[in-house]
Amino acid sequence: MKLAIHGLVQRFVDPRGSRESATVLDDLELVTGDIQALVLVGPSGGGKSTLLRILAGLDVPVAGSVAFDGVPLPRDEGALRDYRRTVGTVFQAYNLFPHLTALQNLLLPLVHVHGLTEPEARERVREPLERFGLTPHVHKRPAELSGGQKQRIAILRALVVRPRRLFLDEPTSALDPEMTGEVLEMIAELKTLGTQFVLVTHEMGCARRVADEIAFIADGRVAVHGTATEFLDQTTDARVRAFLQRTLHA
Amino acid sequence: MPRWLAYLIVLAVLTSAAAAAFASLDMNWNWSIVWEYREAFWRGWWTTLALSLAALVASSLIGIVAALMLRSPIRLVQAAARVYVELIRGTPLLVQLLIGWYVVAAALRIGTDHRYVVGVLVLSLFSGAYMAEIFRGGLDAIPKTQLDSSRAIGLTPWQTLRLVVLPQAVRIVLPSVAGQFVSLVKDSSLLSVISIAEFTFNARNVNSATYSTLESYLPLAAGYLAVTLPLAALSRWLERRFRYEAA
Amino acid sequence: MSAIPPPFRSLVGLVGGMALWTSFVGTAVLAVAAEPLRVGMELSYPPFEMTDPQGRPAGVSVRLAEALGKHLGRPVVIENIAFDGLIPALKSRGVDCVISSMTATPERAKSIAFSEPYLKTGLALLIAKASPVQAAGDLDATGRIVAVKQGTTGQQWAAASLKKATVLVLDTEASAVLEVLQGRADVFIYDSMSVYTNHVRHPHRTRAVLTPFREESWAVGLRQGDDDLRRQVNEFLEAFRADGGFERLGDEFLAEQKAYFKAHSIPFYF
Repeated sequence: MKLAIHGLVQRFVDPRGSRESATVLDDLELVTGDIQALVLVGPSGGGKSTLLRILAGLDVPVAGSVAFDGVPLPRDEGALRDYRRTVGTVFQAYNLFPHLTALQNLLLPLVHVHGLTEPEARERVREPLERFGLTPHVHKRPAELSGGQKQRIAILRALVVRPRRLFLDEPTSALDPEMTGEVLEMIAELKTLGTQFVLVTHEMGCARRVADEIAFIADGRVAVHGTATEFLDQTTDARVRAFLQRTLHA
Repeated sequence: MPRWLAYLIVLAVLTSAAAAAFASLDMNWNWSIVWEYREAFWRGWWTTLALSLAALVASSLIGIVAALMLRSPIRLVQAAARVYVELIRGTPLLVQLLIGWYVVAAALRIGTDHRYVVGVLVLSLFSGAYMAEIFRGGLDAIPKTQLDSSRAIGLTPWQTLRLVVLPQAVRIVLPSVAGQFVSLVKDSSLLSVISIAEFTFNARNVNSATYSTLESYLPLAAGYLAVTLPLAALSRWLERRFRYEAA
Repeated sequence: MSAIPPPFRSLVGLVGGMALWTSFVGTAVLAVAAEPLRVGMELSYPPFEMTDPQGRPAGVSVRLAEALGKHLGRPVVIENIAFDGLIPALKSRGVDCVISSMTATPERAKSIAFSEPYLKTGLALLIAKASPVQAAGDLDATGRIVAVKQGTTGQQWAAASLKKATVLVLDTEASAVLEVLQGRADVFIYDSMSVYTNHVRHPHRTRAVLTPFREESWAVGLRQGDDDLRRQVNEFLEAFRADGGFERLGDEFLAEQKAYFKAHSIPFYF
């Protein structure tokens, strides 16, 4: 995918209505090569999640343009919903619907959004469930699953609709180290499978493994952007080096 | 101690205390009237059941609609629902029945043939206001993150309501709704003030007709328990069946 | 006392002692004074049983009760109880007697005892203006709606005599009258005095047939077996009538009705 972002501005109005708005994305520019995996890193509150939500079609920016492979993102809700149906999004937590089993969570978008019949949907999810070792857990409700299992099911749910690309917003930040590992493994597998994705993460080890390009987002702008090697090993930017110091030795 | 034994002991103590109290009153009881007038009791009980069932259904519908209105972004819609809920919850059912029948229905020239319909309507509006608050609480309890998830997978707002929000809201509100149902059955006894021949009404008539003092009130209590106890048990069963921890 | 800290012990002792002393003296005093006569009535039937603007019991029956108390040398306590709860209250000793414009009927006499009657009246009809009903004989027809009040002789008569008409039983006189006024009932069966009063209040929407179609007399309700009190009450009633007590009550509370009934040759009460 080739991503081209120009002049992106996003503001949030104080929900208490004090009329003051915070500018979260401040004229952001980013142009990537034709890559498979883009990883966004940076300090908390820097704007990475906000950017990801715009790329995923969940929020509309105040100004600026975003285009994937030359196709700009729509701005009205109806068209955006259609766009969202062609991509997949995984949040940090609370992806799954608690009143449905893992299997029902997987089938829901296939049946109600993509028009598959239930037998067709069951057939489609069978193999991916096997591949990622999740078959024994399909009839459990999210409350009965571990954090890692829930996130992997969430990723699967995004995958089985055969999206053009995936968006993952800090998928392991809410997990303990053991479960983080199994989710990162799955993401590595995605890379092998050729799935296109944009990943926001603190896990630099994972970034090194899967990223084609990495962008450092701070204060609402792209501070540094380059290939994985350039970013991780060769950067001279003081902020990035400090950041890498902290995250790699955390 | 096995549970059934514990219940047995408590009920036995209660019954003996009651029997002792009654015996000390020295009132020459006339229990045969209960059997003699069994048809009046029977008819009254069925009427109460039918009225309560009708009001159950109607008030649930009113409650859901009002709950959605309470959360509507349209100011006028929200205000209308809020006024309805506060007015109804803030006044006694007795007052609503009397005003509903002797003022509103009279002004609309609704005749005596529609007495029962008006009674059920007032009862439904009454219970509906409480249902509205219960449902609103249930809807509010759904975390916003789930709405995010629904949008992310491309569900329309209507699909989100139908597939994600309502199924969960129903489970959350089930205990409160069951409690409201039980209250409804008991509140239906007030319909007697506009001369609706439900259970309590019939029992009081039997009392007056036979100059019995309280003999018909015991079958009356038993009759209500026969409806409310199964309702409560059903609700506990439903709760267990649908229970899950919120993720 | 050992559980209570020292500074409070003397206080507890003082208060406890005072309480004990007061109850001693109090019981002694009560034993000497006469036991109050508790009279049950439903205070929603003017001018016999009603409340004054300050909310205190007032009316013909209240005066009668007070006179009875004076005769017996006992203080009177009026208990306001819904009409169909009066007999249960009497039987369960909540009250000692019932003076509430209650008709002495054979059915009621199975449950309680009555004094000699003190007032003659009867069942009359308050008819909706638009209704075709002219007399009590017209009532038992399909489609007729007859309103009565819970627990009254009107209700009993309706239950016994009306097979085809619909009987509406209401809790209160007010509701029953409303049903007639709003055209939802043909007729309200009640005693002639109240029918008169209601007709006068709503002359254009009601008609009244005041000559009783069934005569009744009111008496004081008493517990079966309470023969001493019964004897005393009968003695009182006789003395009260001989003394012109009823005449005075009639003039004070029922002057208008008296005049009207006399003019129309309808039998009056006392």
